[in-house]
Amino acid sequence: MRRLLEFILALALSGCAQHKSDEGRVLIGVSLLNLSNEFIVMLHRAMETRAAELSVKLIVNDAQRSADRQVQQVETFIAQRVDAIILNPCEVEASSPAVEKAIAAGIPIINVNSETRAAPTAFVGSRDEESARLAMEYIARRLDGRGNVVMMHGFMGQAAQIKRDRGAKDTLAKFPGLKLIAEQSAEWDRAKAMSLMENWIQSLGAKINAVFAQNDEMAMGALLALEQAGLKDKVIVVGVDAISDALQAVKAGRLDATVFQDARGQGRGAVDLAVKLLRNEPFEKQVYIPFQLVTRENVGDYMN
Amino acid sequence: MKTWLSRFGLVIALLCIGTALSIVKPVFLTFPNLLNVVRQISINGILAVGVTYVLLTGGVDLSLGSVVALSGVVAAGFAHPGDWPVIVPVAAGVLVGAACGGINGLVVTKGRVAPFIVTLGMMTAARGVALVVSGGKPVSNLGESFRWIGSGAVPVIVFLAVSCVSWVVLSNLRLGRHLYAVGGNENAARASGINVEGVKLFAYTICGALAGLGGVVLAARITTGQPNAGVGYELDAIAAVVIGGTSLSGGVGGVGGTILGALLMGVINNGLDLLNVSSYYQAIVKGIIIVGAVWLNQRKEKS
Amino acid sequence: MRPARKSNRRTRPGHPKLHSGEIPGLAGGWNSIAAGLCCVKRLRVLQVLDVSKSFPGIRALDRVRLDVSDGTVHALVGENGAGKSTLMKIVAGLIRPDEGELLFKGQRFRPRNPHDALKAGIAMIPQELMPFRELTVAENIFVGHEPILRLGWLDKKKMQREAARLLGQVGVAIPPTARMKDLTVAQMQVVEIAKALAHNADLLIMDEPTSAISEREVETLFSIIGDLKRRGVSVIYVSHRLDEIFRISDAVTVLRDGQHVATRPITDIDRNTLITLMVGRDIEETAGPSATATGEVALELRGLTKRGKFTGVDLTLRQGEIVGLAGLMGAGRTELAEVIFGLVRSDGGEVRVHGRAVKIESPGDAIAHGIGMVTEDRHKFGLVPVMSVKHNITLADLPGWWINRRAENAMADEQLRAYSIKVRDRNQIAGTLSGGNQQKVVLAKTLLPRPSILILDEPTRGIDIGSKAEMHAFVRKLAREGMAVLLISSELPELLCLSTRLLVMRQGRISAELDPRSVTQETVLRHAMPKER
Repeated sequence: MRRLLEFILALALSGCAQHKSDEGRVLIGVSLLNLSNEFIVMLHRAMETRAAELSVKLIVNDAQRSADRQVQQVETFIAQRVDAIILNPCEVEASSPAVEKAIAAGIPIINVNSETRAAPTAFVGSRDEESARLAMEYIARRLDGRGNVVMMHGFMGQAAQIKRDRGAKDTLAKFPGLKLIAEQSAEWDRAKAMSLMENWIQSLGAKINAVFAQNDEMAMGALLALEQAGLKDKVIVVGVDAISDALQAVKAGRLDATVFQDARGQGRGAVDLAVKLLRNEPFEKQVYIPFQLVTRENVGDYMN
Repeated sequence: MKTWLSRFGLVIALLCIGTALSIVKPVFLTFPNLLNVVRQISINGILAVGVTYVLLTGGVDLSLGSVVALSGVVAAGFAHPGDWPVIVPVAAGVLVGAACGGINGLVVTKGRVAPFIVTLGMMTAARGVALVVSGGKPVSNLGESFRWIGSGAVPVIVFLAVSCVSWVVLSNLRLGRHLYAVGGNENAARASGINVEGVKLFAYTICGALAGLGGVVLAARITTGQPNAGVGYELDAIAAVVIGGTSLSGGVGGVGGTILGALLMGVINNGLDLLNVSSYYQAIVKGIIIVGAVWLNQRKEKS
Repeated sequence: MRPARKSNRRTRPGHPKLHSGEIPGLAGGWNSIAAGLCCVKRLRVLQVLDVSKSFPGIRALDRVRLDVSDGTVHALVGENGAGKSTLMKIVAGLIRPDEGELLFKGQRFRPRNPHDALKAGIAMIPQELMPFRELTVAENIFVGHEPILRLGWLDKKKMQREAARLLGQVGVAIPPTARMKDLTVAQMQVVEIAKALAHNADLLIMDEPTSAISEREVETLFSIIGDLKRRGVSVIYVSHRLDEIFRISDAVTVLRDGQHVATRPITDIDRNTLITLMVGRDIEETAGPSATATGEVALELRGLTKRGKFTGVDLTLRQGEIVGLAGLMGAGRTELAEVIFGLVRSDGGEVRVHGRAVKIESPGDAIAHGIGMVTEDRHKFGLVPVMSVKHNITLADLPGWWINRRAENAMADEQLRAYSIKVRDRNQIAGTLSGGNQQKVVLAKTLLPRPSILILDEPTRGIDIGSKAEMHAFVRKLAREGMAVLLISSELPELLCLSTRLLVMRQGRISAELDPRSVTQETVLRHAMPKER
């Protein structure tokens, strides 16, 4: 335990030392949800690129999905006297103390991608409800407003799951011909989604006309199960996030659609906003980067 | 005799649940659905058989899930179309797993660190290595022959093969007997001339190798090597072993029970999905069943 | 009711308790009669009335009776499997009887658990002590009824003060703040006794209390027991050691095969009668040393040393010889055996087996060189309790990497017959056997690889007289067949009757070689006692 403390202390100290040597440059602390998530990796890259363009220095920490760790990271940023903080919150409630502490310390804090209960200085992100709305509207279009839909949830109780669920159900209410015949959580996981889809194929079989998965990982799992059962040409599958696997599947005509959440836009937006704040330029308190529906027609625009 | 009784209890539980399900949902008892069930349990089953070795020696392995991710990523790295013959990615995955298990075993035996701590460390470290190797992104675009491993009945066959071999090892080989002895009384095993360190090293290495194999099958099934795959798999595997009557303190149990334990968990999963039970309730039901099964086992042993 | 009794007791320590006014449900007149009778005939603190208990396949107790009088030491004897442990467990609340009744101080007594029994005034000191090793002596004494200040704070000062007082009563100086794990077994026993005193126990059950302590510690224990008697505490004393029983007990009850055989005042019975009652047949308890037809040298130690344990031990062991190793606890005998067998590495010196110098780094090496050992601690080193008898027997000698089940069964059956081990079948779980049978399983396992050298460390500790006699017969037979035997025992009579040569160890060195046929116990002890200064 003591060794660990010493290690953390050493890290924090080296951060301070860096700060001194970079005197004059703007320093922004960044705490990210989880760097093993492809979307967050893209968000991170966009931030680094933009920071380099604006010659701003970033200190990037990975909270590894732990809100507790995230709060500690922000505390360290405060102790280091960074100029601004960009927070990619892990949880609505549990990450709030991080925001409150930064505000109390007089350091501007920007939430990116998802929200906290406590109000930050500014927010950059997208409305998750919108992604589900785009996906469901696409399904409705394809089915001419009539048919049976199943939905795969993410981890129950997480902000993205709750909002995508709300967006999907609000949209379904507008199409009385669409029926939600089953919904279940596959915990954002591809293997679990595959098993779930296999089980649904057994119990619901040919009744299913479309699958809405709240992220692409699960959409890919559902897709694999349907392909192996030889049912893919009868069922529409839509995901959210536009991860590279999904984009390739859309391009190959396997996956019907995904919804692009603009990681680059959000990452750049967050850094831009931070710099604006620090230069005392006027800024919008809430910047919404729009979602975009990706289908075979426009998939080329999203692949690089 | 007692182990037979407790296994019998599990079989009865399985039959009861199966009968109930097939009455409520006749589709349960169809061949494609049953194939589904065994295919879905095959990965957890392979891991569970592996961790049975370690639990029998009185140890534990918490690193399974991370090793699954690491070996999946490594195997996928060798499995792009036209890269290598399919044996190469499979061997790579299994070897990486065996290496992780071997390190666990060495630190446990030579370093005399508690297995819980060692494998907890490996759980974190292997996940880190998986992220480094993959650059944090899934490794996709895998060849046809590799994906074949995860399709149709292949995972089931792999699981069955692993189970049969392990059954023979544990019940017919001297090495297997030594595993039981080490778990039953390490000191007495040593005093009987058994190479306790060697036996433990073997158990952790096999466990790691089977986790590696599980990672290969998983990557083939979901057609990518995911650095964040397998989170929590170790607990599912340990649950299956314990439901199957293997004692967490070692020396008692076996592969037969483990297979039944995995099967019970799979049937319940499948049944709850077929019945479209809400995710919230699914979690509650699974928790109750894990504790209930172990409780029943122990009651039988006492009487 | 209870607090009244306890406060009452404290006011007159050292007196046998009278039960006047304390037996509820009985007319006052009866109480006064009882009080009157007490002068003539002692009251019974515990009565066991026709208690029966069955386990699957065994009738462990069959309508057993036992009467323990106030302020006496009552010995309970019988072979292993006679039902002593079961009976004591029932009295101490660990298990419940199927039939029959207990009366404790005249009242119906049905403990549901050990805590009930303790609250009522019955404490048990088991053979295998199970203290909280990481806690202090005081914490052990008061575990479960710690003195508490407001808000649940532990009153540590009071706890230590009280612990010191109780230990003082017992007359042994153990600091209350010492960690339990740092104590010797004998000291732990004393702490257990102090714990019983803390509960104002009226009846103390001691199960084989001398099996793991040295002779001097036994003396201390006996003086404590005498003290307890004077305070009016009764003791049920379970032991295989007949000398002890004749020394300290007032009465003895014999159980055999779950049945009550006899209860006698100790003055009315002699040793041979007692043995006959226990065994149900006549046993020749001792026989002279066997002939000394010895062969070539099997094991030779030259200057073997383990720092802090023993130094420069030279020893020669020939085929067909039984060399006895006498000494007090801590003389280094067990450590010497452990080094020879590879359980512990030596720090210097040489081991030669059949004339060749060998390096033994593990028991595996020792077994490969034809050395077998039956260790002192059966539970720790001997048995895998969760495995079957068969698997235990074959553990050290599974030929080849593939197990041939038929051959294994045959080997196991042969050993079961050869050592007359009583089991339901060869697949019975070893941990469920009686102590004597467990020890025979360990012996069978050790001898299966056909060693030429056998080390026996306390082979008859805690086993009944019948099994002991059988064990002695086996050892003699093995020696006759050419086995070289090194025998460590804390029981001098055993050493004297079995050994062909007797070595004495003192403070890590061999202090004497004696002829067991001519030597007396006193001489052996003189060589074993540590030198003054």
